[in-house]
Amino acid sequence: MPEPRIVFENVSRFYGEVLGVNRVNLSIPPGITSLVGPNGSGKTTLMNLMAGLIRPSRGSIQVLGVPPGRPEELFRKMGYCTQFDAFPKGLTGYQFIYSFLLVHGMLESEADKLTREALERVSMTQAADRLVAAYSKGMRQRIKLAQAIAHRPRVLVLDEPLNGLDPMARAETIALFRQWGEEGRHVIVSSHILHEVDRISDQVILLSHGYVVAEGEIQGVRSEVKDQPMQVLVRCDKPAVLAARLFERDNVVEAKVSNDGKGLLVGTRDADSLYLLLNRIVLDNGLEIEAVAPADDDVNSVYQYLIGSEGGNA
Amino acid sequence: MAVFKHSYKGYAGPLTPTWSRFLILPRYAFEELRSKRFYSIFFVITMLAPLIFALLIYIQHNLSVLKMLNVREVITVDARFFMNLLGWQSMMAFFLAAFVGPGQISPDLANNALPLYLARPFSRTEYVLGKMSVLLILMSIMTWVPGLLLYILQSSLEANGWFGHNLRIAGAIFLGSWIWILLLSLLALALSAWVKWKPMAGGLLFGVFFVAGGFAGIINLILRTRWGNLINISHLIGAVWTSLFEQPMHRGSGAVFFRVSRAEEIPIWCDWMALLAICAFCLYLLSRKIRGAEVVR
Amino acid sequence: MQPVIELDHLEVRFGERIILKKLNGTLTGRAIGLLGPNGAGKSTLINTLLGFHQPFAGTARIFGKDIRTEAKSVRGLIGYMPENDSFIANMTGVHFVRLMAELAGLPAEQAMERAHEAFFWVGLGEARYRQLGTYSLGMKQMAKLAQAIAHGPKLLFLDEPTNGLDPPARARMIQLIQEIRDRGELSLILSSHLLRDVDECCDEVLILKDGRIAASCNLEEERRANRKFLELETRGANGTFTAAIERLGCEAAAFPNGRMKLVMPDGVEIRQLYALAAEQNVQIRRLNHKRDSLEDIFLKAMEAPDGGL
Repeated sequence: MPEPRIVFENVSRFYGEVLGVNRVNLSIPPGITSLVGPNGSGKTTLMNLMAGLIRPSRGSIQVLGVPPGRPEELFRKMGYCTQFDAFPKGLTGYQFIYSFLLVHGMLESEADKLTREALERVSMTQAADRLVAAYSKGMRQRIKLAQAIAHRPRVLVLDEPLNGLDPMARAETIALFRQWGEEGRHVIVSSHILHEVDRISDQVILLSHGYVVAEGEIQGVRSEVKDQPMQVLVRCDKPAVLAARLFERDNVVEAKVSNDGKGLLVGTRDADSLYLLLNRIVLDNGLEIEAVAPADDDVNSVYQYLIGSEGGNA
Repeated sequence: MAVFKHSYKGYAGPLTPTWSRFLILPRYAFEELRSKRFYSIFFVITMLAPLIFALLIYIQHNLSVLKMLNVREVITVDARFFMNLLGWQSMMAFFLAAFVGPGQISPDLANNALPLYLARPFSRTEYVLGKMSVLLILMSIMTWVPGLLLYILQSSLEANGWFGHNLRIAGAIFLGSWIWILLLSLLALALSAWVKWKPMAGGLLFGVFFVAGGFAGIINLILRTRWGNLINISHLIGAVWTSLFEQPMHRGSGAVFFRVSRAEEIPIWCDWMALLAICAFCLYLLSRKIRGAEVVR
Repeated sequence: MQPVIELDHLEVRFGERIILKKLNGTLTGRAIGLLGPNGAGKSTLINTLLGFHQPFAGTARIFGKDIRTEAKSVRGLIGYMPENDSFIANMTGVHFVRLMAELAGLPAEQAMERAHEAFFWVGLGEARYRQLGTYSLGMKQMAKLAQAIAHGPKLLFLDEPTNGLDPPARARMIQLIQEIRDRGELSLILSSHLLRDVDECCDEVLILKDGRIAASCNLEEERRANRKFLELETRGANGTFTAAIERLGCEAAAFPNGRMKLVMPDGVEIRQLYALAAEQNVQIRRLNHKRDSLEDIFLKAMEAPDGGL
């Protein structure tokens, strides 16, 4: 049986004249997928389209075979966590989750069990009987998450889920995502914190001005960006010597000594041979290496190349 | 040639004196008001009544005009005259408070700017004082300032030591104005702090005045008492002014919209107490809202 | 060096609940990070130092001035960038920052000049005549920073300064903070949930937990102490490589995807690792000294039993 996917086929969405997303084509496999892009690039629009909260102006969407136009079916399989901080008034944390579960049509005992599990998962069992209005920001975030996962959905659409969480809660939540990804669920997360995105995602979707600019595994995406040579940063004591040797061997296309004179940023079209070359050069010339790092093999750099620093709306 | 690099620098220059900082708020408020044509026109309108009253004083002392009209006197310039002027100007001040008041505090609260005010060497008291000053200054210019100017005009035209004999009137103008403008500022600011939507805050100001007056009447009728008047601001002010201007106290005495409503009197100190209680309540309401940080239990 | 903040048995209560439990300590760094889980009391501490809450017992001193008795004088030295939205919607940017600067004590002309300067410096030069209500989220954050620095404070409180910012805006904000730290003749306190923000900007951290100080340490020293710990990312390596490294005398741990962590004893040099790599045709694609000391410090502080300092 083919892998279940979330499919967008030529989807566009306009708000009156304002562009949300334009001509999006995606096929999202299970695992953790991160949506990355500046504010206003269409991340929330994309998530709302997936969840059926808005209809596309054009094109069609299928989530594991279910079109979002059928919410009764869709929301059995999907959990949604919005980025906005709003709750029905007068509910406690427990009631918030429990009442939404009842809407699914479960028996009360079942709903109670699932609510307690969800609360346990996000470590909110103790505070469950206090009003949501009295929670701190991090606690509200966790309750939102609990509500999204309570009915054990196969697809999780989470809009900036780590916002406001302290470092421990972040680590725990990330561990949770990893677990779900490994279980074969679809976890769609949008985030601005690129080094976290790097660490946890199986694939990334980059958005800019409503267009999908890149999608896939991050290394794969990087190697597709052909017009930029791979950047590697080498911190050592004699960068000039290193540069000279590298140029002799015809591997690098550019080299730049850093401001403090102790580092060299090289651009190469063949990273594998570069590293093997580096081994020899270090030994032959007695270089003291302090650090080596690919300077652009991560989401941050791909972001820079494809979206740039002025990519967002001002 | 020199190339200048502009980067962040600290500040090491002089500072303004601390006591006068609350006046920054009225200064900024006036800048904003001046830019709106509506307010300029409004102010011109508020000066009409004093102008007319001044004209009356002048005519009263102008023999040629009196001869022409063949009368001994056009109008008696006495305590009632000044009380009436005060009444008109106070009504105008009411409109001013309804227009200007709501916009004083609610924009600061709407987007949580208050902590920024209070994170500076600026206390809650200075904040409230500053905001009140906006209204107090404007309303003073509308009430006791023209009142006292007209008093001086009358004294100079009348001579015969009129100034000295009628100092009581000058005092009444001053005190009567202040009790009204203080009350009004506090009410307007309290509403501005608690009601987000500006037209609603303005409307509520009218509500407090007129609707409470209506309720007072109902209470009086149903409970067969006269103590309902204690929530009727119109009556309270009317009574207080009547006593300050030493006029006979009966139903309908007072000025313009500030009328005493019943003859059997509540002792005047009760009226004063009621007014003070309203002011204190407004201050309490303000203290609840004007805070650096909310405490959620 | 005069301490920036001294905490003297500071206790703060909301009704019955004790939020800050007898905090004691001295902070002297130029850039101090404030960390802690939700509910640890970070905001309460900042609000108390700003004078928004009265201490139940004890006190604190900022630059030697007691916050209970010289509150106003203290606030004259402080700039505050709150976590939440904080602006007046129908004022233009410059008008707002002018007002705030004047309220901090600057004469009107100076306030005007510095308001404009502040806007250019944070990168909002073009937008300074527009109303604050029309600003985007990133612009509002920058405007908050502008109002915090326009009057030249000696101590800057930054509460979650990169909240909601997209990556380029976050990078700009961090860069601005680093610039202020280096050149601004002021101290700053940065409270954030993002350890990386604190790592990049601060040289000292204070970690709160449950209203107590769980840890207080100097990051500079920690970084220097980590010279011996290495992290590698390799390609083409197998057990032989790891074994060879261990024969050199290092402790090595291999992870999937070619990742390795090493502890190098004295006497062993990185060049020797390269010699091994050259022999075995292994690519060393990444090599760095351990960088996540702050994460470790934080996690250790969280695990310690209550009251540990």
